[in-house]
Amino acid sequence: MTACIICIDINTSAVKAHVYSMEGIALYSQKASYPTFHPQPDWSEQDPEQVFVTTLFVVKNLLNTFVIPQQYAVQAFCFTGSMHSVLPIDAHGVPLGKAIIWADNRGTAQVKALQASGKAAEVYRATGTPIHPMSPLMKIAWLKQFQPTIAAKTDKYISLKEYIIFQLTGQYLVDESIASSTGLFNSYTRSWETEALAFAGIKAHHLSEVASVMYDGLKLKKEYAFSWGVSENTTLILGGSDGCMATLGAGILGKKQVTVTIGASAAVRIVGQKPIEDPQARFFNYILNEEYYVSGGPSNNAGVVFDWFARQMGDFSQGESVEEVLEELFRKAREISIGADGLLFLPYLLGERAPIWNANARGVYLGLHINHQTAHLMRATLEGVLLEIYSIAQMLHQVHTFDSVVLNGSASTHPIITQTLADIFGKTIHPNTDDGVGTGMALLTLTKLGVFNTLSQAVNAVRYEQAYQPNLAHYPQYQQLFTLFEQLTQNLLPAFEQLATFRQA
Amino acid sequence: MNPFELYQGKTALLEEFPFIASFTYQKIQQITLHSMPVARQEGLRLFGIQEGRFDWKIDDKSYLLYPNDALVVCPWQAMGSTKGHTEIGAFMQLQLLPSQLEGNGHFTLGEWSQLPTSDQRIVGKILGQNNRPVLPRFKRLFPLFETLAQELTEQELGYRTRVRQLVDEILLTVVRAMSKQEHDPRDFPQTFLKLEQSLRNNLEHPWTVEEMAGLVGLGTTAFSEKVKRFSGFSPLNYLINIRISEAMRLLKSTEDSLTDIAFQTGFYSSQHFSSTFKKLTGYTPRDFRKNNP
Repeated sequence: MTACIICIDINTSAVKAHVYSMEGIALYSQKASYPTFHPQPDWSEQDPEQVFVTTLFVVKNLLNTFVIPQQYAVQAFCFTGSMHSVLPIDAHGVPLGKAIIWADNRGTAQVKALQASGKAAEVYRATGTPIHPMSPLMKIAWLKQFQPTIAAKTDKYISLKEYIIFQLTGQYLVDESIASSTGLFNSYTRSWETEALAFAGIKAHHLSEVASVMYDGLKLKKEYAFSWGVSENTTLILGGSDGCMATLGAGILGKKQVTVTIGASAAVRIVGQKPIEDPQARFFNYILNEEYYVSGGPSNNAGVVFDWFARQMGDFSQGESVEEVLEELFRKAREISIGADGLLFLPYLLGERAPIWNANARGVYLGLHINHQTAHLMRATLEGVLLEIYSIAQMLHQVHTFDSVVLNGSASTHPIITQTLADIFGKTIHPNTDDGVGTGMALLTLTKLGVFNTLSQAVNAVRYEQAYQPNLAHYPQYQQLFTLFEQLTQNLLPAFEQLATFRQA
Repeated sequence: MNPFELYQGKTALLEEFPFIASFTYQKIQQITLHSMPVARQEGLRLFGIQEGRFDWKIDDKSYLLYPNDALVVCPWQAMGSTKGHTEIGAFMQLQLLPSQLEGNGHFTLGEWSQLPTSDQRIVGKILGQNNRPVLPRFKRLFPLFETLAQELTEQELGYRTRVRQLVDEILLTVVRAMSKQEHDPRDFPQTFLKLEQSLRNNLEHPWTVEEMAGLVGLGTTAFSEKVKRFSGFSPLNYLINIRISEAMRLLKSTEDSLTDIAFQTGFYSSQHFSSTFKKLTGYTPRDFRKNNP
């Protein structure tokens, strides 16, 4: 029998399970999805039992269709989950309703309250989590204020990943990585932060015990071990958050590199040995393990903006899919020169997180002329989205210089995106289409199992596709465009506020 | 075609077809005040606009209708002209009397129809939702209406069969279009979420793949493939997944008996519940509850 490990990724839309060889090579994977419910426009919830049942389904299928017939022996399971979810649980371990996930914005008033209290800066500095409705800190404060009956019955506030771990093992345990994204955990002392607990209105016993991402003291309940056909003593590795695992899986740890992830939203991340202390509170700092932190900034407006553009402006007359229409639009945009014949786009369709952290910001096309066509608009849209990503990377560059970029994420694969990004950055781009989260978990697990000595050794196993080199003739043109882009954003901030008053009316 | 007005009880032409309350083609050349107040009427009404521009209302919502648009009105919906009278123009109207049509989706056409009961159930569900009653640029309706008028008036050999078939055909054409427009083919995630909600709202129902596909306006093959690609599950596995999830919640948070839970979550027996539950979780429902007091 050949040894293998199984990495389970409980993400926003699906559970993905991966089988890796002991050399860190991806052998097989399966996924199954679950929905997000929006009982109110600003709310986003998931059914914890559905997430659990889906996890069981995927793992069982993976074992039955691949691991068992191919005669692999499972050495370890590792887990990762999305950041920022909150699920209240009663004293019997029963969920009190659905899980509130990261995309949920119900805690806006709590953000304002913390800012008004004058303690926001200190809470941000200690926890590394931006003061934003996404953070569990705000969600718990919201539950305490608006759902007092639920809050009164709540024994623990946990994330969806903790719920799955609890179901499988009977223990409440949170890894430091997920804990550090709650807004409640002090990244320096590595304990629950008193000031934040007080604001949320809870005590430390309302949260799980915290353990290292490499913790392996958990034991699978015998019923699940039996049902899966694995030993009860199979090693379970606690694992980290999806964002940190994806960054580890991109292989930039210990190198002068940055990752750009372009999915529906985007993020730029670095790995450092301490949190970035930013007086303007623009970055997140999440714990990767005992030694490293993942820092960076998220943008709301990436693939989702391309999607919007394709749906509104694309030609669907032949029954094409959105992907096909977007492909065609990108092809046309390629024929348009830099700056789209004097057209600039600010991509803030969904408000923006990093770097401006402004929920009222909105999209702008500046410079429309009667000769502009859909292709020009597409070109400007593409440039605007990538310039926004560059603006996050620029801020990071000031604290952590980098020479090249690792590019990943579902919306990153089109060559025009990769080349334009290389030209804007003026740096080499290494595309990585492997599942970063899975790779990160595999590297973590194999390090724990002793295959690699350290994570910095493990990341040498990461492989990239053909690199893209920047066209250095284009770089100064984009620099000019970028200056204008930043100025325009700054100049429009008052206008965004004024426009917002019309929306609320 | 010349205007006509056929009303059940007034013309002998409809006598043999009691499920047709009326069938008209009206050309309005002058305004008659109070000719079209907002009101409920029995049966299912299908309108097809030929000429003009109509500002009509269903319950509290206004709709502007233009030539080639069709409109579907259910008996629980109050419908009429916003101005209270019919505007100048031309439209056709077919008013059908199914033996049962209720807002909760209960629907039977009657003995005359060739539609199997299972299809009628889906038709009822789609009509029951009628959120977007206007079918814009729905030209396909007019040739069907014209043929129906011809069959009714000319009474050639086999006209009884043809009329029944045509009414089935009209109904299917309209209902298919309704479910298609409710579900944007470019937005399967949204369609899937709506389906999930329909399944959860009616979990005790013995759903079939055909029914689920019909509800979102797809054929079963395309539906199964899309669900599989999007969710990783076959439609029936997805359904079982929701059933087990809900059963877990009930086992933990209620005192309901296992038989009750099995029934509420759509398993046909407590044995079926127990074996399906154990296959996925390794626990029987009883043991699962014991472990999660």
